[in-house]
Amino acid sequence: MSSNFVSVEALSRRDALRRIALGVTAVGLAGRIDRADAHEVHGQAAAEKTLQGEYTVRYFNEHEFRTLEKLSELVIPADAGGPSGREGGAPEFIDLLCSENEELAAIFSGGILWLDHAMLKRSGKRFVDASNEAQTAMLDALVRAGAAETAADTAFDTNDYKRFAMYGVRRPADIRRGLGFFDWARRLIVDAYYTSPAGIEDLGYIGNASYSEYEVPREAVEYALSRSPFRA
Amino acid sequence: MAETIYDAVVVGAGAGGGTTVRVLTEKGLKVALLEAGPPIDPQKDYKTHKWPYDYGHRTAEEGGAQYFRRGTDYGFFTTVSGGWQLDGEPYTVAAGSRFTWFRSRVVGGRTNHYGRMSFRFSAMDFKPWSRDGLGWDWPIGYEDLSPWYDRAEKFIGVTGTVEGIPSAPDGIFETPPPPKVHELLMQKAGKKLGVPFIANRRAVITKPKNGRPACHYCGECGRGCLTASNYSASQVDIFPALETGKLTLITDAMVREVEIGDNDRVTGVVYIDKKERAEKRVRGKAVVLAASACETARLMLNSKSKQFPNGIANGSGLVGRYLMDTVGYGVRGSIPYLENMPRYDTSGFGGAHLYAPWWLYDQHHKLDFPRGYHIEFGGGFRLPGPGAFHAAARKYGYGKKLKEKIRQEYGTSIGLSGRGEMIPNNQSYLDIDPDVVDKWGIPAPRFHFKWSDYEWKQARHMEKSFSALIEACGGKGLRQNNAVREGEGISVPGSIIHEVGGARMGDNPGSSVLNKYCRSHEVKNLFVADAASFVSNPDKNPTLTINALAWRTAEYLAEEMRKGNV
Repeated sequence: MSSNFVSVEALSRRDALRRIALGVTAVGLAGRIDRADAHEVHGQAAAEKTLQGEYTVRYFNEHEFRTLEKLSELVIPADAGGPSGREGGAPEFIDLLCSENEELAAIFSGGILWLDHAMLKRSGKRFVDASNEAQTAMLDALVRAGAAETAADTAFDTNDYKRFAMYGVRRPADIRRGLGFFDWARRLIVDAYYTSPAGIEDLGYIGNASYSEYEVPREAVEYALSRSPFRA
Repeated sequence: MAETIYDAVVVGAGAGGGTTVRVLTEKGLKVALLEAGPPIDPQKDYKTHKWPYDYGHRTAEEGGAQYFRRGTDYGFFTTVSGGWQLDGEPYTVAAGSRFTWFRSRVVGGRTNHYGRMSFRFSAMDFKPWSRDGLGWDWPIGYEDLSPWYDRAEKFIGVTGTVEGIPSAPDGIFETPPPPKVHELLMQKAGKKLGVPFIANRRAVITKPKNGRPACHYCGECGRGCLTASNYSASQVDIFPALETGKLTLITDAMVREVEIGDNDRVTGVVYIDKKERAEKRVRGKAVVLAASACETARLMLNSKSKQFPNGIANGSGLVGRYLMDTVGYGVRGSIPYLENMPRYDTSGFGGAHLYAPWWLYDQHHKLDFPRGYHIEFGGGFRLPGPGAFHAAARKYGYGKKLKEKIRQEYGTSIGLSGRGEMIPNNQSYLDIDPDVVDKWGIPAPRFHFKWSDYEWKQARHMEKSFSALIEACGGKGLRQNNAVREGEGISVPGSIIHEVGGARMGDNPGSSVLNKYCRSHEVKNLFVADAASFVSNPDKNPTLTINALAWRTAEYLAEEMRKGNV
């Protein structure tokens, strides 16, 4: 796949369409919208799923961006359940955040330099130019090193979104620059993918919708009960 | 032009202030409502129905602020306004104490995003001292407040079912939605262990009410509801009150002190107009404080005069004292056999569809702690946001395996949270910091707080019962920590955001600040309509009781005014 790196300013069709969409949302008394309008807002949100597209890279150079694209394909590869992290918009997400945050930008730029340096030593090629085997061998080594490092992981041992703001951020020692970078890259790639329309579809999340009655499907109840200690 | 003298000046536009202005304007009174934050426009300010991918930052916020603990507290979508710290508006915590204070500065306050759990206090809750000799009895009983709970529930809309459980009195209920799958499992586990899981009582309407459409089950109440299908003081109380033409809403108005005249009556309040950074004044025949328990106590302590050198209406010396929060503790686990379950929408009406009221209310002689707790829980297929799968990423590496594991385990985790009653104690209070002022020149509050053994032992009981429940469900991966640090073995004081007390009511002016109508014993035209008046803090989330008490106080004030007694 060729790179999504876009170096020219492009008018954001998506933003223009969003503005139109917001303009047609009916406003009721005191800022409320009624249920029919709620359905319409949901419809607009669904329509926007198809409008992901052009993005102008703000922070990374072309080589860095291509490295992130490759990492996004490796961390979240395309499979039968959904596309890759790259298609989930991970490189663009990371670029946007890095363009707004010097601390994060340093983690990623420094991390990519570390990664290329380590890869050059291992295989004589920078990460993106190395073979798939060499790339996965590198990531496997990082995963092994991460698993060996047991300290201070409990802060992340939760997937409670609402408590997300309470997370600590680990800042690894300099010698672990690569490990820290890989953790950051993996977390942000995973986040980007699972917050993208494709990732949400992959999970099968079907909430944030609009119904007149709330029902729990019989097949879900039966699936759980038949496997539970409460089965008849 | 003559200065306007309002019938009532109300400070604070949350649950208490909202209820007060709605009731008073319906009675035809001319009311000024002061709010320390900006106005709210639900169309602009609520993120109802948005998706993470509607934002380039995917809700991690600018520069990934959430990853650096600099983002909006509780997440980009969830909190409409406010946080644990506000720029330029500090509070301090005394050495040896921990306390954290969540403030919302906006019309509607915390009701724009709160959990909407709506539980009546029970007959036992109003007379705790009579039961176990701890704390104090309220000057009112369940029979006094019950008709006001009725009114509040009928007006706001609260779901539930009639159960006849003494610790959880029934109300006038909206039809609740059916339980979700993991909730059904927990209900069965509870049955085995004697823990009753019943329909949750939340301030959500499931049928249209007063022009508000019924809930459409998008499940994201914490963002604020564009259809006003759940309760918020802004949409349900204040916007309708504004339509009467009787209400003057003054926003960005940080009240500095309550002013008193020569006859021991208050004459109005002095406030800082935040936009102009200028001191202003608004006058009224009565003043109702509803700034939130701690902010109300702070305001009273800062309102010094020759009559009241220690703060207005503080002859008892009890303003700021007996501050309480709810005891919180949670256990998380997962139910492996839910892996690969057929997907369905677990959003429902935005919170758990079941909860367990305190079930051992007649067993305290066998327990090592005196007061109860209720159980809230979470689980299901939740909207993924930043951080949702970090633990999985650490555990499963990368690539195909990671992706498959995330898919497989999605929706299998379950969490139980206890919300318990603390006993008021004399080491938990707020006073005024002698050295710190906020950017409006107003002296800042200083918190002192201690959980006692009663609360710690209650938290350990939560730990045991929650673990037993998850095990009975066939769950695993429980975290037993028996930790002895706040924030690990028990919630950090203030963090449950149920801070109450600080100007408690009572019959005796020597041992209470307010009378049984939440009117100052000492200043006849000064009232309190927030949780500062609470004598105890039962295991019931406080908002519904704030609504009911404020309604009762507002009607009393209007009647006293009509009789010429204010």
